[in-house]
Amino acid sequence: MLLFDYSDKFIYTFVIVEKGGDHRLIELKNIRKSFDGKEILKGIDLKVDKGDVLVIVGPSGSGKTTLLRCINFLEKPDAGTVSNDGFTVDSKKASRKDILTLRRKTAMVFQHYNLFKNKTVLENVMEGLVIAKKIKKGEARKISLELLKKVGLEEKTDAYPAQLSGGQQQRVGIARALALNPSVILFDEPTSALDPEMVGEVLAIIKEIAQEGITMIIVTHEIDFARDVASSVVFMDGGTVIEKGTPDEVFNHPQHERTKKFLRRLIHEPEYTI
Amino acid sequence: MAVIDLAFAIKHLPDVLKGVPATLAITIIAMICGLFSGLLISFIRIFKLPVLNQGAVLFISFIRGTPLIVQLYMFYYGLPVLFDYLNGRFGLQFNADNIHPLYIAFIAYTINTSAYQAEIMRGAIQSVDRGQMEAALSIGMTVPQALRRIIMPQAFRTALPDLGNTFIHLIKATSLAFAVKVMEILAISRTIANDGYRFLEMYLVAALLYWLLSWIFEIVFTKLEQKVSRYEKAQQSPVKRFYSVRQLKT
Ligand SMILES: Nc1ncnc2c1ncn2[C@@H]1O[C@H](COP(=O)(O)OP(=O)(O)O)[C@@H](O)[C@H]1O
Ligand SMILES: [Mg+2]
Repeated sequence: MLLFDYSDKFIYTFVIVEKGGDHRLIELKNIRKSFDGKEILKGIDLKVDKGDVLVIVGPSGSGKTTLLRCINFLEKPDAGTVSNDGFTVDSKKASRKDILTLRRKTAMVFQHYNLFKNKTVLENVMEGLVIAKKIKKGEARKISLELLKKVGLEEKTDAYPAQLSGGQQQRVGIARALALNPSVILFDEPTSALDPEMVGEVLAIIKEIAQEGITMIIVTHEIDFARDVASSVVFMDGGTVIEKGTPDEVFNHPQHERTKKFLRRLIHEPEYTI
Repeated sequence: MAVIDLAFAIKHLPDVLKGVPATLAITIIAMICGLFSGLLISFIRIFKLPVLNQGAVLFISFIRGTPLIVQLYMFYYGLPVLFDYLNGRFGLQFNADNIHPLYIAFIAYTINTSAYQAEIMRGAIQSVDRGQMEAALSIGMTVPQALRRIIMPQAFRTALPDLGNTFIHLIKATSLAFAVKVMEILAISRTIANDGYRFLEMYLVAALLYWLLSWIFEIVFTKLEQKVSRYEKAQQSPVKRFYSVRQLKT
């Protein structure tokens, strides 16, 4: 049964994590990106190990979204290399095929969900499997239904995105990303567009899949959540990485003045609880 | 003699009905061919293809800035000139007189409506949320796949009311096809009116037919819109509504 083959891959990832190897999955070297002559990313280096959850925090406009989008080439870096799961692309020589290969190793969960408006919930999850991965419809359907059950939306398979709440839409977005079985899932502020009472349900699901050993890079302002799930935390400001470390190091013992200032401001904001 | 000779109108109705196929043929063929070439032009403009883009801008501006009837006359008198030139230059044997007027109308109306449909489709495609394309790419689709499966279906949905209007507009615009000697509804009515000195009657017959056709296709397009807009019907939950009201107050 292919469904089980498929789940096996999750277990496989998990085993590697258990071994605790420093198995490098993603490596960014000297990523640079300018918009209209203004440098937004000023040479970012970043490494993520298999099974790790990297949380990126930083003030608005510091380039977090741009950095995430450089990893799947939704934004083409001006310079630098992106490696993912043994495949390396130099942004200066990236062909269309390179970009597609790299992109198909990733999935993304967007701040505004970006579900396909003309497709049902089930079709949204199946789309990448059938069109990009060329998996047969019956099988794709089975995988998708399983994942929709996992995010608690098995009742909504035939609904259209416009009929769902924000929290439900974002859970579909997560199922759509999981379906691809990517080597990494990129989350760009997955809860910041949600009504406050829906934040918890979405964070709970992200936490659940983090515990399954899926590699993730998450941009978020939810500090309590970050403390909870992150293997490492990066603080970005002005297009550079200011500070990097464990959640304890960055959140409890920040070394740089800019990090301290940023955290002081965040702590004063009301926090969520799961 | 009555002011309005209804008997005369009814007697000649079957003759005028013979013009309906020409009217419909021009409308439908121009609509479909115009949609394809309009799409092509809209892509040229959206992807800003060098040279072609400037050509497209010029073309659209010209078509929209000149009366249809002038374009038809240009076609009618321009085609023989063009053929003469081609014959002289390449030693060909084209003869403009052998071309059925209907074909001239097909081409002229297609060219005319393609300019309008290009702008409709360009607007509709650009109105699709950027995030839709990004999401499609993020799950590993190619740009053509994303266009075909995600962007264009949504763009067509947005464009449908305008495309419907264009269609109705085309039906009425075929009444100018007499300029290229096509015998459609109005041309036939006019001929009969001339012969019987019954102008008002025949124009009434023509008006009634145009109205009927427009009405039928308006229903068709309304049904089509209902069918494709199913995914837009949001069931707003009471909670959501409560929140939006609250947000307004604060
Ligand atoms: N496509 C773009 N065109 C021009 N400027 C952009 C574009 N994307 C991002 N920027 C600019 O880059 C800066 C960083 O943006 P972003 O990466 O979204 O930051 P963050 O996600 O940390 O808030 C912002 O000043 C933004 O205006
Ligand atoms: Mg951002």
